[in-house]
Amino acid sequence: MQHIVSRIWHALGSINLTVGLCLLLTADLVWGYFCLERHTPLFTPLNDMGLIPWMQTYGSHNLPWTVWFFLLLALLALLAVNTFACTTNRVVHLLAAKSMVSKRRLALKLAPHIMHYGLIVILAGYLASYLCTQVLTGRTLVPGAYLSLPGTGGQVRMVAFEPDYYRGTRLGFWKDEVITARARLLLDDGTTQREAMLTCTHPVRFLGYSLHMHDFAPKSQGGMKMKTRIDLHVRKDPGVALYLAGIVLFTVGLALYLYEWIIDRETTTL
Amino acid sequence: MNRLQPGRSLAGFFLLFTLLVAAGCDTNEQKKGGLDESSSAPAFLQIGEFAINRISPERAEVRDGAGRTLILIPREAPMPKDVPPSQVVRVPVQRVVAYGYFDVAVLRALGVLEQTLVGVTAPAKRWYIPEIKRGMDAGRIAFIGDAASVDYERLKQSEPELVLTWDPSVIPMLDNLQIPAVVTTTSKAMCLNTRMRFVQFLAPFFQKEREADAFFARIDAALQDIRARTAGLAHQPKVMWGDIYEKRVMVEPGNAWVGELVGLAQSDYQFKDVFGTSCIEITVERFLYSGQDADIFFTYRTGEMGATSKEALAKLNPLIKDIAPLKRGRVYAPLPHYIQSADRLDEILTEISAILHPEVYRDYHLQYFTELPECEPVKEKP
Repeated sequence: MQHIVSRIWHALGSINLTVGLCLLLTADLVWGYFCLERHTPLFTPLNDMGLIPWMQTYGSHNLPWTVWFFLLLALLALLAVNTFACTTNRVVHLLAAKSMVSKRRLALKLAPHIMHYGLIVILAGYLASYLCTQVLTGRTLVPGAYLSLPGTGGQVRMVAFEPDYYRGTRLGFWKDEVITARARLLLDDGTTQREAMLTCTHPVRFLGYSLHMHDFAPKSQGGMKMKTRIDLHVRKDPGVALYLAGIVLFTVGLALYLYEWIIDRETTTL
Repeated sequence: MNRLQPGRSLAGFFLLFTLLVAAGCDTNEQKKGGLDESSSAPAFLQIGEFAINRISPERAEVRDGAGRTLILIPREAPMPKDVPPSQVVRVPVQRVVAYGYFDVAVLRALGVLEQTLVGVTAPAKRWYIPEIKRGMDAGRIAFIGDAASVDYERLKQSEPELVLTWDPSVIPMLDNLQIPAVVTTTSKAMCLNTRMRFVQFLAPFFQKEREADAFFARIDAALQDIRARTAGLAHQPKVMWGDIYEKRVMVEPGNAWVGELVGLAQSDYQFKDVFGTSCIEITVERFLYSGQDADIFFTYRTGEMGATSKEALAKLNPLIKDIAPLKRGRVYAPLPHYIQSADRLDEILTEISAILHPEVYRDYHLQYFTELPECEPVKEKP
């Protein structure tokens, strides 16, 4: 039994499997590119409804265009297992030989493996995002209107829409168009109030939620008079902490690796 | 040696893949019927960016054009506690306010216009639909104010159970009034398939699935006829659809239903590379470039808006006087009732096809568009 487990473990950690998976991932992503490009509305709800409900509706009812995504999940799961097994094998070997090298040297030798573990944590973070994120979609605010954040007692009120318009002359067709949509929000947690500026590229964090500007109106100063509004996606995403942790881990590994590659190797050469 | 065992690895991979797909596969294929009167309604129906998910016989979730989720429940069912009242719609809906002409036309296609419509955002004089004129005369249908300045007091008096709107900025106010609203437009133009099937999205609100299916079948038959008639035609006219206004140039993008229809009817749409919302803005240069070799130009302007002749169009906007359709091609303007005739989509599709290929539609009489003459007809003196 132990022999079988050992063989499975080593097969899962094989570099041949890594190469095969990378080739399959490339082919699958090329296929996915065309499916995404031609059937974008099928995949848009994945951003807000979560992975399981999406699989049960859009995913399973449109298999000719979504099966590549299921395949991608399977391949990424295998890649994560492969990376974990391969990295753990190497780490075990390194730790077993730790008495033969200095602590500094050991840390530098662990650098690529820290990056690999970081990658697994990042993937786990994205999976957690797609599985557990709570999203309030299609929330619209107009000046003076407020939005209640479920389970918190907190409220978000839109104070004003303060966009930046294009005033240059080089791009004539952009004249008077909004180039930065900014909304001034009043965040009230029941005891204190503070103001925050929300833009399309700068979400606002409040009481565990993040507020993202999805759309806005008006988009220009002239032309058709549209009523002022911003459309929000409000997210409570437990995966963010996990993939930020993964990024930190990856960065630490990368820093150690670069240190070894640039400074340590230079010293050795000299 | 860590040699990969291809057979075993592949078996493991396919086992994992099968498990994932099985987890994602819908197990409620047998869940049919429920809120609708038709037992053949699918458990999940996606129409462009709109979707209907029949969770149980007493509950369906719909996703509107703004990505909002609304819950449909039977009229007598208790109010669900997990969603705000403004997101719960009791079906069949009996009182509707509709913002857009398209929404009204869809109600007409479903056969519920006279029974359910209680409010509109255009005054009586702007309507060509007899049921609405009659309803407004009789006081059954109220004018609740222009879409840009809706009178919410008047709206509330109409006691709508549902508002169909293209304007998401009214949602906060309607939420306060606890009136559910469906956003019936999307940030991208409706493709031909969505345009044809949109009626199936609104059908569950009124339990009119059979009518919606019949409507779709009618449009589909018209499309099949267009394909058959135009297949293999050698001449592919180049078509542009849009107009230049005072400072802006608006066109129908290639992903819009008209762009797709033109391509489907063996013609070449000049803006097929433009992607985005309906009536999208492009540069003057791009418009004029496409106009150099176009054969047919569909303007947004009606006769009332000045599109009475090529000469009149050129006077309205001297920039377009040199585009090919005005100089040697054909220019078409919509008739005033066209915009309110989406329930006659089969006839509209056929008419556009007839305009593109008059050689296969002999003796066709235009009902929704008019071909502009070279210059203004001379008015005879009395």
